[in-house]
Amino acid sequence: MGEEPRSPVTVERMSVLFRVQHILLMVSLLVLAVTGFALMFHDNWLAAAVIRLEGGVLYRGIIHRSAAVFLMAQLVYHAFYMLCSREGKRELREVWLTRRDFDDFFLAMRFNLGMDSKYPRFGRYGYKEKFQYWGATTGVFLISVTGIILWAETFSMRYLPKVVLDLTLIVHGYQGLLAFVILLFWHLYIVHLHPSVFPMNRAWLTGRVDAEWLRQEHPAEYEKLKGEGVI
Amino acid sequence: MKPLRSFVMAGLLAAAVGGMATGGNAGPTVGDCQECHGDKTIEMTMPDGTVRSLFVDGKAYRSSTHGKAACTACHVDAEAPHGKLSPVSCGRCHTEAAKSYAQSTHGIARAKGNRDVPGCGDCHGKHDIRKVQDPMARTFRLNIVGVCLECHEDRVIEERYDLPDEKMMAAYRDSVHGMASRKSGLLGSAVCTDCHGNHLILPGDQPRSATHRQHIPSLCGKCHSGILEKYERSVHGKGMRAGIAESPVCTDCHGEHTITKISDPASSVYVKNVPRTCSACHDKEAISSRYALPKKRFSSYMDSFHGIALEYGMTKAANCASCHAFHDILPASDPASPVNKANLPRTCGKCHPNAGENFAKGMIHVEVSPEKAMGVFAVRVFYTIFIGTLVTLFVLHVAMDLLGRRRRGKAKAGKTEG
Repeated sequence: MGEEPRSPVTVERMSVLFRVQHILLMVSLLVLAVTGFALMFHDNWLAAAVIRLEGGVLYRGIIHRSAAVFLMAQLVYHAFYMLCSREGKRELREVWLTRRDFDDFFLAMRFNLGMDSKYPRFGRYGYKEKFQYWGATTGVFLISVTGIILWAETFSMRYLPKVVLDLTLIVHGYQGLLAFVILLFWHLYIVHLHPSVFPMNRAWLTGRVDAEWLRQEHPAEYEKLKGEGVI
Repeated sequence: MKPLRSFVMAGLLAAAVGGMATGGNAGPTVGDCQECHGDKTIEMTMPDGTVRSLFVDGKAYRSSTHGKAACTACHVDAEAPHGKLSPVSCGRCHTEAAKSYAQSTHGIARAKGNRDVPGCGDCHGKHDIRKVQDPMARTFRLNIVGVCLECHEDRVIEERYDLPDEKMMAAYRDSVHGMASRKSGLLGSAVCTDCHGNHLILPGDQPRSATHRQHIPSLCGKCHSGILEKYERSVHGKGMRAGIAESPVCTDCHGEHTITKISDPASSVYVKNVPRTCSACHDKEAISSRYALPKKRFSSYMDSFHGIALEYGMTKAANCASCHAFHDILPASDPASPVNKANLPRTCGKCHPNAGENFAKGMIHVEVSPEKAMGVFAVRVFYTIFIGTLVTLFVLHVAMDLLGRRRRGKAKAGKTEG
């Protein structure tokens, strides 16, 4: 890949605000995963080491909840930003799930298996990006709600039977696992291991991508930008 | 009559003493004996070649409890000079003690001619014998441990008779009882003889032994009587009285020689160690099945937040005893049990003030199985399948995507050529 001459033309794909949000999200999710899974899988040596590193089970909890508050604040901020700001509204329109995304998905699968000759022409976000965005958002929302119930245990205990709290705990843990699996298999693939970006799509740092990459992977977006005269 | 008799007795005694002093035939005095036995170098070679000192410390003898008596009170056949004397029989005066001793494990072995086991003198001392109340007595409370350990910490003896090893004996010194008597000189603290008995000492597996399982609660209760009272009310105490062998007695939870304060992290009933101690029985398949007790007590607790918190050193987290109580533990079906449904709000409320009746509706640390916890079981199965499927699909998708990319590459290459 290295010897291939890179097109000097680049386009912005992530604005500064989104890059900051992305980095904060990454940090808080990592902290939550490390502190959370150590508790979920507490009976092995690695978890024991991690919990000791975090200063025991008490501080583990404090770190976990601090990161959680931070993440929830980001979720709220993000929701407002997507609903109220000009850039956010535009992005929301782009990332909104439509019938076409499912059609694209099936078309892509058919093409991949050689059952169709056309490959979908993705816009700014293809089904991969959209599925990930909505999957992660739903996950974070569910984890936040269950997390709050567990955190406010004195309050929850007054209104909820023990069995509901047991279920909440299970959902919280497994939902975390689910989010982690999505990150590991989906996100890692599309922004790191995918041959077109390997070893990493730098947009999360520079904010920009090659116009050529856009033309190959998101042709509809490329043409739209060309039409607008950006490229 | 009486004064007359004592007058006559006193007269006779005076005559006897006078006779002895003038070297009559009433036997040797202590002074006579000391003429030879007061010599530190006096010794005798035994038939087996060992040399034995025949010195008797006259000063120690005079300050002993028998110090006023003549040597012949014990050495009945002693004359001056004399050959081999017959053995001293303490039982001539101390009949009760001799009778008990004869039935003890020491006494039985000694009757068979075993000289490793202690006779009277080995514990009480010989010429320097003192009353047990005398702090200088070998058998004074604070000195007893040392006396017993003279043999019971001797590896040769332990191996010869298959006795518990010296570590178990040494453990007593660091136990709460050992520390109290050794460090603080606390007279109320248990020493060897308080539990094992003195003259009538027997191995713990013999029903007559003071330390036999069935006697343990009342044995500990001699000092810890308030606790015994609670224990007797508990399911364990009742089980024990009903002859259920698996029902725990004090030592099963607290240990015996190793017993330490509950605040000591080494104690088997230290907060952090309680779950493991209870699980020694309650996680045993055989015991749960035989007495129809709930299963998976240990793992279901250790996977709960209480268990994890305790494991990682948050000692204020609830352990078994926090909810179930301990000495007066009762089955959950008993209305007096703190884990009876009706009492749960109060029990949980000790730490979680808001845990009301609503909260108590769920089951606490049950094994996750369809019969016991359907909801939790179902959600867990759902997530496991869901995540498993998703991972499979992800992998499939990646494979297909890569496959498709190759096709796209080829198609594009074809296009540029054409």
